[in-house]
Amino acid sequence: MNVAENTFSRYRLEIEQGFWGRDAILCKQVFGFYIGNSMRFDFNKLFLMTLSIFSSCAFGWAEEEVERPAASAESIEYFEKKVRPLLVKHCYSCHSSEAKTVHGGLKLDTAHDFFEVGGDSGAVVIPGNPEESLLIAAIRYDDDADTEMPPKGKISDTEIAELTAWVKRGAPFPPDENPVARESKEIDFAAAKKFWSFVPVKKQADPAVEHSKWPQQRLDHFVLAAMEREQLSPAPEADRATLLRRLAYDLTGLPPTPDEVEAFVNDASPNAYEKQVDQLLQSSQFGERWARVWLDLARYTDRTASWLDSKGQAHLYRDWVVQAMNDDVPYDEFIHRQLATDLMPETGPEDSPALGFIGLSPTYWKELKLPSEIIKVIVADEWEERVDVVSRTFLGLTVACARCHDHKFDPVTMQDYYALAGVFASSRLTGRPLIDEEEFEPVRKARAEVKKLQDQLANLKKKKPLPKEEIAELNTKIKEVKESTPLYDSPMAAGLIEEALYIERKGKTAQEGTNLVYKAGSQDLNLFIRGNPNRLGDVVPRRFLQVLSNETSQPFRNGSGRLELAQSITNDAAPLAARVMVNRIWLSYFGRGLVETPSNFGISGERPSHPKLLDDLAARFIENGWSLKTLHREIVLSATYRQSSKKDGPDLQRDPDNLWLSRMNRKRLGVEAWRDAMLAVSGELDSTIGGPSLALTDDANHRRTLYGTIHRRDMSTMLLMHDFPDPTAHNAQRLSTTTALQGLYALNGPLLLNRAEALAKRLATEFPDEDEKRIQQAYKLLFSRPPTPREIEIGLAFLTGISDKSSPETWAQYTHVLLASNEFLFIN
Amino acid sequence: MLHQLGTVPGMIGAASLLSQQSLSEAATSSANLGCHFPAKAKRVIHLFMNGGPFQGDLFDPKPALLKYAGQRPDGADLVTERPTGGLLPSPFKFSPCGESGVPVSELLPQLSQHIDDICVLRSMHADNPNHGPALLQMNNGTILPTRPSMGAWFLYGLGTENKNLPGYVVLCPGRPVRFSILWNSSFLPSAHQGTYINHSSIEPSKMIPHLRNTKWDKETQRRQLDLLQQLDSQVQQGNARDSAFDARIQSMETAFRMQFQASDAFDLNRESKQTRTDYGEGHFSNGCLLARRLVERGVRFVQVYYGNGQPWDTHSGHDEKVPKLCKDIDQPIAALLADLKQRGLLEDTLIVWGGEFGRTPTSENGNGRDHNHHGFTMWMAGGGVKGGMTYGETDDFGFKAVHNKMHVHDLHATMLHLMGLDHERLTFKHAGRDYRLTDVHGRVVKEVIA
Repeated sequence: MNVAENTFSRYRLEIEQGFWGRDAILCKQVFGFYIGNSMRFDFNKLFLMTLSIFSSCAFGWAEEEVERPAASAESIEYFEKKVRPLLVKHCYSCHSSEAKTVHGGLKLDTAHDFFEVGGDSGAVVIPGNPEESLLIAAIRYDDDADTEMPPKGKISDTEIAELTAWVKRGAPFPPDENPVARESKEIDFAAAKKFWSFVPVKKQADPAVEHSKWPQQRLDHFVLAAMEREQLSPAPEADRATLLRRLAYDLTGLPPTPDEVEAFVNDASPNAYEKQVDQLLQSSQFGERWARVWLDLARYTDRTASWLDSKGQAHLYRDWVVQAMNDDVPYDEFIHRQLATDLMPETGPEDSPALGFIGLSPTYWKELKLPSEIIKVIVADEWEERVDVVSRTFLGLTVACARCHDHKFDPVTMQDYYALAGVFASSRLTGRPLIDEEEFEPVRKARAEVKKLQDQLANLKKKKPLPKEEIAELNTKIKEVKESTPLYDSPMAAGLIEEALYIERKGKTAQEGTNLVYKAGSQDLNLFIRGNPNRLGDVVPRRFLQVLSNETSQPFRNGSGRLELAQSITNDAAPLAARVMVNRIWLSYFGRGLVETPSNFGISGERPSHPKLLDDLAARFIENGWSLKTLHREIVLSATYRQSSKKDGPDLQRDPDNLWLSRMNRKRLGVEAWRDAMLAVSGELDSTIGGPSLALTDDANHRRTLYGTIHRRDMSTMLLMHDFPDPTAHNAQRLSTTTALQGLYALNGPLLLNRAEALAKRLATEFPDEDEKRIQQAYKLLFSRPPTPREIEIGLAFLTGISDKSSPETWAQYTHVLLASNEFLFIN
Repeated sequence: MLHQLGTVPGMIGAASLLSQQSLSEAATSSANLGCHFPAKAKRVIHLFMNGGPFQGDLFDPKPALLKYAGQRPDGADLVTERPTGGLLPSPFKFSPCGESGVPVSELLPQLSQHIDDICVLRSMHADNPNHGPALLQMNNGTILPTRPSMGAWFLYGLGTENKNLPGYVVLCPGRPVRFSILWNSSFLPSAHQGTYINHSSIEPSKMIPHLRNTKWDKETQRRQLDLLQQLDSQVQQGNARDSAFDARIQSMETAFRMQFQASDAFDLNRESKQTRTDYGEGHFSNGCLLARRLVERGVRFVQVYYGNGQPWDTHSGHDEKVPKLCKDIDQPIAALLADLKQRGLLEDTLIVWGGEFGRTPTSENGNGRDHNHHGFTMWMAGGGVKGGMTYGETDDFGFKAVHNKMHVHDLHATMLHLMGLDHERLTFKHAGRDYRLTDVHGRVVKEVIA
């Protein structure tokens, strides 16, 4: 708890002293108008304005100047008696300095706020002109008003008349007694760039350690130094069987075979462990295990709801990630290709599946009969999702927080958000062929032709009596087109093309519905005031996040800007991107990240427990050409990783949560490894790699869980109850829950019942009539160790307890218990 | 995939904070640990009329519809998202009911006898006129599929009272539109997700996944459990205490007991003949009775969807379909209210009734009604709600909420309030900010609280 408290107060402090300059900008009069609170979401404009204030701006702004008569004592009395009470009654709970939350940025309790600041939509009252005053339109619930106020329901006609009359009279209002200096928030970007996760990464000097023989890898020096500082000492190295079991699950998601364990235990060569590491790193199962880590971040799904368009074959993306992990594609290139392989001259159409990262994004239902105002909100939500997944996955930043207002904690503005949203507003999700355009062109034509014929066919089938001859003719024609077109069945990847989406009214009125219009090319978005696409602010050019850019950074020019975005992530933001990824890998091995908020490296995220270690690893990650396998190798070869998870004595009291890694954390297998291991030990595992997904409900499906169908709308209950993340959103880290429903699944679910039976049969075949040997073998298969004499005794007692003799039934009951046991699920 | 238990970033929910337990324990922690203030309701039954009933048939009489039948009177605001025709009067009669005299339709003769326990919310409104987004909003406050459902929020905030049963149960004889995303836990721990039960068969072992073992009998299972405990404790010897390890041992025992407890909870045959008769026959009757059996055993939140798909979605033949739909719900809801009252459970069980939106007072193709999210009726009963009253008003035709408007956010804020939770303080830190069921909205409608 102390740690948590410290962390909390630490970041509170930083918030308080944050990047938001606290120097209030005095409410200064420039050409007769005020710059005040209304500018707080638009400091870029403020900056621009101070530059160009003597030129163009002056014209546009002068119109907003408000002439109000000096309020006489009589008119103030009128206001206080007749008007103020109405404002108090209907408005002040949301629109005053006393309001718990000021809504719409609008306060109505001082003259300054009322007339000079206004709300997000600007001034709400034009003195003398009720017809032009937003306030009056809102309380009248006018059709064309942006908003209806108060939201609870329309106020009475008399009250509306009273407020209208007041505006007509020139809206007399008492002068403010203490015109206060307005506080404005402006980001000091120079200061913001100094935040720990944004600064350049540096290789660190090896820290001095007392126990100098312990380190095996460079990273161990840092871990040991922290231990020694905390008066802890490392746990001894785990025994070989435990170590290999841990290593095999970590690198491949599968258990080692008894033979592999035995060979390793008996291998006296000095590089015995290193050989195991290299062999497992080179195995194809490595990619299957580590692809899944990435797919959680990428919210991978095989299927979406039937009413949403399918853009291509999802599994091509999954298989692409597996291959990329196996090939050790440099992480920077891995990012570039997922965001923009179509814009990279060095990659061809066969790499299109990489685009699935965005191509498989969730889409939301858009009924085009509805007014465009509604559809715009849905599309804006989709763009937000893209910004969210890209910024959290690659940068550990929650940029989507800045859709409606500047980020509350981080130096990310609304402009930053819309600069990125524009990239996705200029990229259309679509199927892409894996072959060259020249080769694909005839296929495209043939498919269009078939589509046309199929539509005709559907119409014919509605006719009565059924025109059988015509139908047969059409069927033949369809077959001919398909067969005469080479590569007709060529697969399509869920990808992207460079088209910008515009949401337009179908007719003149909102009621006539909406058109989604895609146009070749790209677009910059207008800022959406409060995140509402029906209230537009200024245009924001597409560009990278300002705080991560340097002086020479430019707006994106190459089409949608996806490639420039990807390059900015790995160039301008390389330190952050590297820190984030190194931390994700670390988290997967140790169950806890060096930073405990893996997708939030911003101010409200946690600080690293071992800052120098993270910096050193990240710096060398980049130096090693962003090689993930090099990083994996260093981690698993380290003395830190090789420690035993068993420890007692004072260290346990001193660091119960093992923040300082003076032992290995005991971990629980994820649902994939748990199921895969059952299939492996029962001898049923089908280790085919890649291809379309298969339902997990099908008991004949013996492939790895990675290939089980993930369906956003209809998730496998088996996966859901075992903490598999919701595939609709980026998932930073799996949580582990323990529930009785999981228990029911273990006791009664078909998976364990059937694997138990298969395992019992396997053992019976290998060791007929030898209960004790079967128990020995079961322990070696499941737990990578022989049983103790006591465990053999317990096992035999169970097997023969009912009828003095074991039977296929008691064996299946016994193996069922072993599969359901904690030892099978937990890794020491 | 390997990961460690116990450390959960962002857990700042009330139940978890106050108890300082591991997540697995927090998920099943006892009631009211997390209340921000004394709760009036301890559990909720949400009767979900999926598809969207028309308010003007049932609880919100609009005589003006008859006066202007077939017309679209000048000046009337009747602009629907999709084109609709003239005003379509409801053929069903209303009369004042109970001591309160709140008008209820002749279609609900039995339910109307309980009107003095019911608070009719006539001014509900939502953001989107499509089923999917509206279903999501009613369940999670937004039109997005990426937010936790309210049931998950209740469990997160309050835990459950019976750890041998799931704390959040969704009953539907079939599958409602959008299915499991309506009760997901999204970024909240998965232990808080709803457990979907298809009760089109009322055989308990068919309703609950993996409730029965198809191979071994109870005695064999007991032997297996004993063996499991023995083996697990062998392994644990010499290791430091590990709450995740221990929690799993415990959960297997719980699961073993659940087989029998849940069989009991879900077994309608244990009800008297009289009770079965009182609730009537049919899926919805069974759903209501199951709901009572579950809340009685401490299940925190039960949703009963009326039926498969979206049965209340009457785009055509509206006037023929509605009497049948009402007949299905009238008796069981009346029986549920009477039953809960008689058992002393109504006072702290909140009943919420309604669809994802209402329907238009104007006609769709002459005999149907289209979706209407601008104004619709829901009602609440029990659980600290004032009975025998109406709250809010729609316009003369029952199209838009105009007075004391109550948004879905306000409904959620009020429900949480009744459960002892402050909707602005029940937060979960995720993706860089604190999330709430009510996002940045929501008003507790104190006027309906007793």
